[in-house]
Amino acid sequence: MNLQEQVALIEKIRTNLKRVYDPELNINVVDLGLIYDISLLEDRIAAITMTLTTPGCPLHDSIVSGVRYCVEEMEEIDEVDVQLVWEPAWTPERMTEDGLRAIGR
Amino acid sequence: MIPQNMGSETNIKLPFSFILFSIIAIVGSQIILLFQGEALLNGSFRIPAIWSAAHLFILGWALMIAMGAMYQLVPVAFLTPIWNEKLGFIQFTVTAVGIVWFAITLYAAPQSALIPGIVMLLGILMFLLQMWMTLRKQAKPNILTLFVGTALICLFLTILIGITMVVSMRTGFAKDHYSFLFHSHLLLGTAGWFTLLIFGFSYKMAPMFSLAHGFAMKLAGYVYSFYMSGLVFMVGSFALDQPLLLKGGLLFLLIGFSLFAYHVYTIIQKRIKKKLDRPFGFALLAIIFGEVIHLLAFLAALSNHFTSFIGPLMVAYLMLWIAFSIIGYLYKIVPFLWWTHKYSKVIGKKEVPSLKDMMNEKIALPLFIAFTIGVLAVSIGLVLKISILFYIGQSIVTLAAVIFGAVIMSVMKK
Repeated sequence: MNLQEQVALIEKIRTNLKRVYDPELNINVVDLGLIYDISLLEDRIAAITMTLTTPGCPLHDSIVSGVRYCVEEMEEIDEVDVQLVWEPAWTPERMTEDGLRAIGR
Repeated sequence: MIPQNMGSETNIKLPFSFILFSIIAIVGSQIILLFQGEALLNGSFRIPAIWSAAHLFILGWALMIAMGAMYQLVPVAFLTPIWNEKLGFIQFTVTAVGIVWFAITLYAAPQSALIPGIVMLLGILMFLLQMWMTLRKQAKPNILTLFVGTALICLFLTILIGITMVVSMRTGFAKDHYSFLFHSHLLLGTAGWFTLLIFGFSYKMAPMFSLAHGFAMKLAGYVYSFYMSGLVFMVGSFALDQPLLLKGGLLFLLIGFSLFAYHVYTIIQKRIKKKLDRPFGFALLAIIFGEVIHLLAFLAALSNHFTSFIGPLMVAYLMLWIAFSIIGYLYKIVPFLWWTHKYSKVIGKKEVPSLKDMMNEKIALPLFIAFTIGVLAVSIGLVLKISILFYIGQSIVTLAAVIFGAVIMSVMKK
């Protein structure tokens, strides 16, 4: 896979992740700024580094498993490694314009 | 970075068992109070039927909800899974049986309340053991641990004093100190256990529900110090029968509560979520009610009218501060529990409802207004001894309790 195809696949993963919503805020994880990094470890293996708005978020397991499912079900991907990190901590500055609009900002 | 799976989610059957039991208890307690209007209007708060209703309300409703909510919130707030879920189910059964048995015995034969009281005590002690073992596993204790830990100690003392009172009634043991025990029991059970618990969890939930970031937590230490000093002074005033200590205690409680109210205000100011959910707004409104009640209690003591106002003030404290906070937060917790049970496995796979869609928010406003009007009517009716006002108020509160129960149950249909 060349660099251009890799970039396109990463963008496709990002778009797919917009299907995972934080049910409390009703904003998807991408626009909420929870996805820190998407990379390809190998051709069909993706790695995602993400966070949550607060440590101990009660929706922790649900959101992480939603992210995993959304990427694993893509035909271009066989496996995904989801890393949940608290450093650096999430801040509202990470939200996209769409995310801020959805929250009434 | 922390391990991927903290295993922080509790089996929802556990908190739900407590919540469903509590709905039956609140409706039962309000019906008993409705039929005891005459005694209440005559100022006879210390009769078996009122004891029964009060315990059914405080233990069967508020305590059971608090315990159920803690099974869900402790792992969230302290990043620590519940120590032993199986013990949780056993504890629920023992406590539920104990509370029902205790309430019935208080109503019918209060002098025989010792054994059901001990069963209930056993259930609560199992809960305290569960929380103790859970909290001690917490990697980094913080100010929230202090609030919740102290609240649990207050709960233990409340129950211990309660049992001592039952023993005293049967055997005459410590009968000269009955007044001290009775007042300390009320204070530690309300301002000690419930208020400190609500303070502690509010510090987690207020920022979480408003999406607040970048606020300082320094004030929380002052809140704790002042409120605790107030509790110590109050217990001292009961022991020594010193009006000055009582005034000092109420002043410290007022300062502590005011600092808490101001602190939550500063947290909410830092929120990202512009429009707050209505039920969460009611939990915030409860803080304003709590502030007014603390102020009125202090003013009543200053003007030497504390004894005449403490009954209605206690009703208002229980309903407008403690019950409102619990109901407000419950409106958020119950949909979350059911959502997790039903949709957590399908998030990302298909469209799932938001938490807001899980519970009828439209009914929240009329429900809270009904509760407020009902409680105010009951309190004013009791102070001015206007029976019609009391009965209208108590009927409204009873009806609101039934509707509230139905709203909670309706979540399970979503």
